[in-house]
Amino acid sequence: MDHRLASDSPQFRPRWRKVAYGGMQPGFDDNYTDESFLEGMVMNANVVKRDMLKVMLDSVSISEYLCIVALVVLVWTYTLESTIDENCLLCIDVSLLVSGFLILLYTPEKVSLSILIHHYFLNISFFIIGLYVLAPIYQTLTRSISSDSIWAVTASLLVLHLFLHDYSESTVNAPGALKNPALTSCISVNASVVASVFIASRLPSRLHVFAIMLFSLQVFLFGPLVTYCIKKYSFRLHLCFSISLMVVTLSFVYMLHRLLFVLLLSLLVFVNVVCPYWLIRIQEYKFEINGPWDEAKLCFAITD
Amino acid sequence: MTGLAGKSMDRKKHRIMMVSDFFYPNFGGVENHIYYLSQCLLKLGHKVVVVTHAYGNRSGVRYMTRGLKVYYVPWRPFVMQNSFPTLFPSLPIIRTILIRERITIVHGHQAFSTLCHEALMHSRTMGYRVVFTDHSLYGFSDAGSIHMNKVLQFTLADVSQAICVSHTSKENTVLRSGLPPEKVFVIPNAVDTAMFKPAVVQPSRSEIVIVVISRLVYRKGADLLVEVIPDVCRLHPNVRFIVGGDGPKRVRLEEMREKHSLQDRVEMLGAVPHAQVRSVLISGHIFLNSSLTEAFCIAILEAASCGLLTVSTRVGGVPEFWNAVLQGLIWIHFFAI
Repeated sequence: MDHRLASDSPQFRPRWRKVAYGGMQPGFDDNYTDESFLEGMVMNANVVKRDMLKVMLDSVSISEYLCIVALVVLVWTYTLESTIDENCLLCIDVSLLVSGFLILLYTPEKVSLSILIHHYFLNISFFIIGLYVLAPIYQTLTRSISSDSIWAVTASLLVLHLFLHDYSESTVNAPGALKNPALTSCISVNASVVASVFIASRLPSRLHVFAIMLFSLQVFLFGPLVTYCIKKYSFRLHLCFSISLMVVTLSFVYMLHRLLFVLLLSLLVFVNVVCPYWLIRIQEYKFEINGPWDEAKLCFAITD
Repeated sequence: MTGLAGKSMDRKKHRIMMVSDFFYPNFGGVENHIYYLSQCLLKLGHKVVVVTHAYGNRSGVRYMTRGLKVYYVPWRPFVMQNSFPTLFPSLPIIRTILIRERITIVHGHQAFSTLCHEALMHSRTMGYRVVFTDHSLYGFSDAGSIHMNKVLQFTLADVSQAICVSHTSKENTVLRSGLPPEKVFVIPNAVDTAMFKPAVVQPSRSEIVIVVISRLVYRKGADLLVEVIPDVCRLHPNVRFIVGGDGPKRVRLEEMREKHSLQDRVEMLGAVPHAQVRSVLISGHIFLNSSLTEAFCIAILEAASCGLLTVSTRVGGVPEFWNAVLQGLIWIHFFAI
């Protein structure tokens, strides 16, 4: 016992090794902390360094969608006040359809002309015919519900739609691609469709109902696809389109109601300027920890 | 020598309360650890009491080997074998047990156990000495881990000492809980070699048998098995697999077996009772551990103690005791031959 103690004098003890059963290492306690403690830790390995200008430009697509929804609500308001009559609305529908088709044609998506004609055209014709046939049902759907409830429910549904909308456009793709949309994007699409149905049910005639339903569904269902195509085609075009859209929306809302104009303007400023600045400010507090304790990631996808 | 022996006899005898949600009749790393640790402490002359929640009809006070007293507190498990997290309603029963058994040290196990956190909190409030042992590795980024780490920070803010089962686990616990590293002791788990002895007669070498015994869940790498087994069977015609254990991924393994027609080469045993683990292990040559994260893999130790060659994924705390396993393995092989 005594001669063992003499050979393990402090300056002579061997280097500590990171092995289990450290009792095999004489001279070191169980709670000994070596200099190599936490040397396997990697901090902030996957964190993206953000640039203020790029974040602001990216946030333009969010405000673009906000303006689109604001325009839809404008059209609804004008229709309900009978400022726009049904023929005007039908013209708007047709022009939107045609311009949407043209944009899809001219942007180099993986969509060739023949596929476009056959696939999209056919489906959209069925869709329009179906809407026209079902228009009487929508007209009488909420006859027993008071108007106040309708406005309240529509407003909350639209807020839900904006909140849960997939702004990264990961679910928008050319026909034929198989992707699983997230739950929240399904909920948002459903909310917008239900809101459109509620508004449509307040209108006087069947043609009104058909026109407004067609308009709303066109924008909510095909709008993201069209904006995605524009963005992919040319960022400059996307920027011009978004800014002109914002200007047009703001001017229309100004003509409608001053308070709403102020609200919309402040919302756009918040989304485009304040939020990017805020994001970059709090990025410096990000602390991502990785190390040998992490769960291993499978390099293949699990197919059930 | 006699001086030292006399000193150990005069050392104070403690009355220890082990508290965790996970205990017999469940079988697992934490449960076995608590049981064997209690037995060793009882052998040294201390008194040990285990507090856990009731398992089905098993409720009340039971006595186990060597007078180990187990309190099965009559609470139903809530989710994943944990008791319902009540903050203060658990105080009366914990206090009763602490005072009645005249406990001196409270030892909590496993960060995932709500009963452990509550008991440690109440014990510290009453001024008892508290030790905590962490058995698993956890992440930092998903919602469940963030929540649990916050709770752990509260509980461990006032603990006397903490024990981790490997150095990687110590780093993980220190980062998660903010404990000073000097307070954390690394004491690895041990295996009962008397129970896990190699086979008297080695199985024949004409056919290589690979044994896998684990819970068939994602975390234990059951998906890796689904990918690996067909390839190995194809490349080496003389290889057979024995898969023991049950879990949600068992269906995938059965499907893989059907798809590649490996019914005669892959044997699925289902859940293996702990008493029969050794007999399953000694029927094989190689033990395969495919877990994706492991603070300390006691299955590898058990397999090495039975004389099998072990193959494992290099995760968590596994690389640390590779030396020990290798030395032990060579020794056992030599002995068996």
